[in-house]
Amino acid sequence: MAQRNFLSRLGDELRYSLDNLTETVGDLAVPTVRLGVTGLSRAGKTVFITALIHNLVNGGRLPMFDASAEGRIARAALEPQPDDDVPRFDVEAHVETLLNERLWPQSTRRISELRLTIEFESASLLSRTLGRGRLHLDIVDYPGEWLLDLPLLEKDFRSFCEEALARARDPARADVAAPFLAALAAADARAEAAEPTARLLASRYTDYLGACRADERALSMLPPGRFLMPGDLEGSPALTFAPLDPATLEGSPRPGSLAAMMERRFEAYKKHIVRPFFRDHFARLDRQIVLVDALNALNAGPAALRDLEAALAEILAAFRPGRVSRLFSIFTRRIDRILFAATKADHLHRADHDRLEAILKRTVARAIERAEYSGADVDALALAAIRATREASVTHDGETMPAILGTPLPGERVNGDTYDGNTEIALFPGDLPDDPEEVFAGSEARNPPVRFVRFRPPALQTTAEGATLSLPHIRLDRALQFLIGDHLA
Amino acid sequence: MTGPDHPPDGAAHRRRPDRERKPAAFRLDDARVRLDSDAHEALTRGETRVVPTGATAPRQAAATPERSPRGVSWGRWLTIGLGGLASLAIGLSIDALIRDLFARTDWLGWLAVALAGLAAMALLGLILREVTGLLRLKKIDEIRTSLTAAAEDDDDATARAGLRQLIALYRERPETARGRRALTDHLGEVIDGRDLVILAERDLLKPLDARALRIVNDSVKRVSLVTAISPRAVLDLAIVLVENLRIMRRISALYGGRPGVFGFLRLARHVAAHLAVTGGMAAGDSLVSQLLGHGLAARLSARLGEGVINGLLTARVGIAAIEVCRPAPFIAARGPNVSDVMGELFKGDPEAQALLEEAKAAPPRKD
Ligand SMILES: Nc1nc2c(ncn2[C@@H]2O[C@H](COP(=O)(O)OP(=O)(O)OP(=O)(O)O)[C@@H](O)[C@H]2O)c(=O)[nH]1
Ligand SMILES: [Mg+2]
Repeated sequence: MAQRNFLSRLGDELRYSLDNLTETVGDLAVPTVRLGVTGLSRAGKTVFITALIHNLVNGGRLPMFDASAEGRIARAALEPQPDDDVPRFDVEAHVETLLNERLWPQSTRRISELRLTIEFESASLLSRTLGRGRLHLDIVDYPGEWLLDLPLLEKDFRSFCEEALARARDPARADVAAPFLAALAAADARAEAAEPTARLLASRYTDYLGACRADERALSMLPPGRFLMPGDLEGSPALTFAPLDPATLEGSPRPGSLAAMMERRFEAYKKHIVRPFFRDHFARLDRQIVLVDALNALNAGPAALRDLEAALAEILAAFRPGRVSRLFSIFTRRIDRILFAATKADHLHRADHDRLEAILKRTVARAIERAEYSGADVDALALAAIRATREASVTHDGETMPAILGTPLPGERVNGDTYDGNTEIALFPGDLPDDPEEVFAGSEARNPPVRFVRFRPPALQTTAEGATLSLPHIRLDRALQFLIGDHLA
Repeated sequence: MTGPDHPPDGAAHRRRPDRERKPAAFRLDDARVRLDSDAHEALTRGETRVVPTGATAPRQAAATPERSPRGVSWGRWLTIGLGGLASLAIGLSIDALIRDLFARTDWLGWLAVALAGLAAMALLGLILREVTGLLRLKKIDEIRTSLTAAAEDDDDATARAGLRQLIALYRERPETARGRRALTDHLGEVIDGRDLVILAERDLLKPLDARALRIVNDSVKRVSLVTAISPRAVLDLAIVLVENLRIMRRISALYGGRPGVFGFLRLARHVAAHLAVTGGMAAGDSLVSQLLGHGLAARLSARLGEGVINGLLTARVGIAAIEVCRPAPFIAARGPNVSDVMGELFKGDPEAQALLEEAKAAPPRKD
């Protein structure tokens, strides 16, 4: 496979090093931790970031987060972020929707950034006397779809086409891919390039990707990411391309042909959209949390899980985990701690959390192995940034089952029953298997034995003084302790 | 499914039936769904009962202690036999005494009866106290065992049961109120078993640990100073003995035990056993072996007098007592070690402090 050209890579590396150098100088004043929140679309990034800020700023209940539990956090507040050209993460609006309207934030459409500054008292006498009681936490939120572009950086147009068409011809996708494949068969790659043909192919391809993502399939491996979430690039030529049949791409394409145009646009997409995004926001991370929504894939069956596994494996290969020596770290930053989290753990009873964790570990096994090999600290857990349910036990027809109580979102269905968003239900979602392999094996023909339902955010009680209680969560405190606990020690 | 109608949270859910259970949902506003926290009436067919769990009030989980099989203990039977005989003899002599007194004057006899009654009552009280003291010590051991197991297996249900017992153990101690409240809050949330044990250590036991360390510290100081100036070896021995017994009693009381005489004997036995396991004085504590190994102890004691060696011994006993009396294992918190205790002793003496630093820094001796 042809690789990215050497010079541009060298240029990038030089630039990272320069940026790091200036930042290290800044770090001497107040240390900064760049936390990479990684996850495909609907994985729970926005909700995680919102819950993290809300709990830290409002002193939420975080018993396993040492600095907070020991009362050493004096203040945490949002401060002006380092990059002025990126919108600010609108945490106030998200909290408002969550608490007052009891709705989840909308799917993210553009990138945003925030800087949380934590003032704390160190537990060790030495650092207390040195007076380093501040920490900046920089986080970026973005549409999860865009993450799918990272693997493209290492690919040329040819290999992109080969892989995309192999997937489109996969039996699991064949029926939704049919319109695109038909349009592709009708177009001649060697013929003179025509804008209408390009536009038709691109729109068919986008429709096909969208259909793959719908709930009943819940597939994940759907590059290029901007097709599903164009942001402000909707309709721009860089997005008007599509994979062509590799069989028609023999030799170098004739200048002016459709194939040549598509290839040029693909390269432009990489150069002008993907690379800057990666360079500005992912190349210099200190800590990373990888959010994985295994439940949506479990609902759809083994094919969805295998697709999720493949997508995550390719994406995570683009990050740089590993430990670096202190001196070296002036020039490079590496991710020295990675946390893998299965989100929405509140959708199942705590007795099944261990099994969800096992499925998560199986899904990202390769990434875990790589990170451990390169010396980074790795942990995996089941987490709910916001806990929308309570637990219960249900007795029906002489059988007692562990269940959860919550209000399903309007339109959610179980066993043919559709909910209106106001009824509370007790749900027994089915048992996860003890052996994670079971959910990856087999075909969709088998009815998935589990059914997870999306719930509305929890209704929060207010205290007598009118203050809202902190957002409930599951293991958010453990995640925080792992991710930034050592910086607040 | 058999068993209680409403299962305690956690435990019952771990056991799952072998066959596949289908997902099921029940609307809470359905007339056939009963939402209650404590109902015992039977359900008719088609009806459903929903019992919220997790944040329910603490329910005492019955922990069944396992009895370890033991051989016939002849010593115990001998004690019982001899003790019985002695009691009979005492009873007989009291009986004879009262008869004698009645034979002389009636009122003397009645006085004796009254006194005997008083003595009997006091004896009963004493026995009761001994028994409750013993039971309490046993309970503490049980809690420690179950918390250790819970932390090892990361077992949610066991940890929760252990924590509830721990909260109950300190119910009458106002200074633990804050910690108990925090733990009760934690119990209402989804927290893993091992983490719960860590929280119990941090929220409830940490202040007690600090006080325990101070108790040991004080005793070590006293022993070192007093034996350093005492003129006789016998006197040294007596002081060390008394001070060590005192440490055990105070630490046991601090962690919630109320040992009477027999409880105390049991405790002393456990401490001794613990010391035996961890190798008495030297082994197991690098500092002590360093001190002894490099001849530093000799230099130290030349400087501070014989007292240091006695202090070391007391420190070991105190630390063993902490480990035996604490109702939880040391998981996240580091258990105290000899240098914690001895460091305090040398604080006022820079030269001794330097020796101690030297001992810490010196590479371990291999032999
Ligand atoms: N119950 C529950 N649901 C959650 C939680 N986190 C996320 N969800 C659900 O997942 C959906 C997506 O969460 P987001 O945080 O918007 O996901 P995202 O990763 O930002 O997605 P994009 O913005 O599309 O990339 C939400 O609308 C919720 O329905 C959680 O902690 N608990
Ligand atoms: Mg989002």
